[in-house]
Amino acid sequence: MSSPAPVRRVASQGPSTTAIFLVLRRMRLPLIVLISLFAISVLGLTLVPGQDIEGQPWRMDLFDAFYFMSYTATTIGFGEIPYPFSTAQRAWVIVTIYLSVVAWAYAIGSVLALLQDRGFKEALGLQRFERQVRRMREPFVILAGFGQAGEVVARSLDRRDHRVVVLDVEPGRIEALDLAAFHSDVPGLPADASNPHELRRAGLMSKYCSGVIALTNDDEANLAITMSAALMRPDVPVVCRTMEDVLIERIRAFGSPIIIDPFNLFGDELLVALRAPHAYQLISWLTSNPEDPLPKAMAIPQHGRWVVCGYGRFGGHLTADLRRSGIPVTVIDENSGPLEGVEVITGDATDPEVLERADLGSAVAFAAATNNDITNLSLLVSAKKANPRLFTIARQNDPANTPLFDGLPIDSTLLPTKLIAHEVLARIGDPLLWDFVQQAQHHTDEWGQALLERITTRCGTERPDIWTLAMTPTGAPALIPHLEQATVAGLLRDPQDRTRELDAVVLLLKRGDAVLLTPADDEPLQAGDELLLVGMSYDRRALDTTVSVPTAAEYVLTGDRVGQSWIWRTLVDR
Amino acid sequence: MNFEKVVFGFFVVLAATLNFGFFIGPIDNPAVHNEWELFAAVVVNLIALVMKFGDRTQIGAIHLATSLVASLQLVAAAALWAIFTNVSDGALNTEQISSVVSLSGGALLANIISVTLLVVETVSFRRQ
Repeated sequence: MSSPAPVRRVASQGPSTTAIFLVLRRMRLPLIVLISLFAISVLGLTLVPGQDIEGQPWRMDLFDAFYFMSYTATTIGFGEIPYPFSTAQRAWVIVTIYLSVVAWAYAIGSVLALLQDRGFKEALGLQRFERQVRRMREPFVILAGFGQAGEVVARSLDRRDHRVVVLDVEPGRIEALDLAAFHSDVPGLPADASNPHELRRAGLMSKYCSGVIALTNDDEANLAITMSAALMRPDVPVVCRTMEDVLIERIRAFGSPIIIDPFNLFGDELLVALRAPHAYQLISWLTSNPEDPLPKAMAIPQHGRWVVCGYGRFGGHLTADLRRSGIPVTVIDENSGPLEGVEVITGDATDPEVLERADLGSAVAFAAATNNDITNLSLLVSAKKANPRLFTIARQNDPANTPLFDGLPIDSTLLPTKLIAHEVLARIGDPLLWDFVQQAQHHTDEWGQALLERITTRCGTERPDIWTLAMTPTGAPALIPHLEQATVAGLLRDPQDRTRELDAVVLLLKRGDAVLLTPADDEPLQAGDELLLVGMSYDRRALDTTVSVPTAAEYVLTGDRVGQSWIWRTLVDR
Repeated sequence: MNFEKVVFGFFVVLAATLNFGFFIGPIDNPAVHNEWELFAAVVVNLIALVMKFGDRTQIGAIHLATSLVASLQLVAAAALWAIFTNVSDGALNTEQISSVVSLSGGALLANIISVTLLVVETVSFRRQ
């Protein structure tokens, strides 16, 4: 028997059942049948008259009868003990043999049926899930919704060695988790994450829970998840995907969850790319997965008129963002009325005459933003035909159509699921990296270009490691005594040979609340500073040596080679 | 009336009464302690034990515990009886019957607790 405490806890969490209790409940009747039939058989054996070797009347006592029944019922069959049976005894033994066969068959059949039972399997799965979550001893993220975006997020988090717990209403998607090859174990539960109990079960109250991501297809469910996470764990960051502006206001009422609206996001990113293409290229590279290639720079035309086809959620946000930057826009939409400050052509964009009215020849950029992938593709082809120099933007609605979009020379594609995943990862990952992204967005393009060049010459064009280093007794124990001699560039030297600079670049220095982007080489380090570094993994290990081995730290910072052994150090000190 | 409760109550009470029937009488007199009554007590106690499986309430847990104790003690008593009759070949002497009966006395105590629990449960159950 388990102690009463966990029993009560499970009972208070709704209709979940522990597997062991299900087994016990189901086995009641088979066991009672078994005991009863056994008792009847034993009793009968002691009552039936027999005779001993001398032919005297003899009856089995209870012990002999129990012994005989035990080896007969278990099909061992030692024979007729202690004396050969009389006909009457043999007749009764025939009955007992069949009784025991029935009893065993019934008991074993019940157990097998229980193993096949759906409810029992679910109970086992739930128990396994709860155990996996309870045993997690490293930070993990709760991911609600394992759809297209969810899968990309889970995969990328896994590649970054971040643990994930998945909840989804569709049992099929959770089953797919077993087939998906993840590096680490990803516990999954088919459950409605908008139910606070299920979130709790997924480890929301665990001290290792480092974030909640609501990526279900249902905006209401996302709102419910955000709400329960914000109320039960106000200290944990929540990321929420939403499509509707109305819900954004409702979600904002609960603390400060991070809301991701892919259509709005794309416009914002486009403006960054428009203003500082290299900074944008750098940001999107650093927030991509490890070893991802450097994305190509977007050559967005700075001046000229844009044509946006389709004034839906995406088209609307894009037009508004462009208007705010003072870029003239022409909108083509079937149902759109006149808009302020925007030239509107009402009509079907697939109609060549309508498209012609937009005068693509004098435009610089074209966005196919309808909610139909095939329409978007055909629009892009016609637009390119009308003006081959157009900068093109496509809205891709279905990830399955990626090969089609890849086949066209499109400059920028909005795929909501991909964009959501990218944004979630930037937000939920390293807080310092997010600080960097926020600051870098507002920096000049020259700065972005210079930094990008510095990183690529040191580390190549595959995304290197990104990590943080804190100047604290636990983060850099060996550095703390020599901190007054340490500068940003002085630290980045090989502990084997200090003339070699490490293939690493400091992206950001955080001192208290102040954030210093790409600190100067001679910037002195202070206790409590946090550094965000990007570099090759071998030099990450080299730096690890410097910050944790006192002799290495002393050598790197001062150039003095100090013996590691006590004898050597004593000799040198004299 | 709930038929399941009738069966449950029947077995719990029968387990206690059979146990009591075997136990009653001078502890060292084999003549007043019936072998068959002990057999019946063991069987009924085992059935009562199985009937208590799978109840997750606190009172269900105590029920199960008392039945476990009673069954263990009675099985031990029956095993002793079997050993004594077969090893010494014949009737039990006073020391042997005393140890068997005292074991069943312990089981009786557990059975009394079990019946008490049943009564308490019934009394505290309010008619809606």
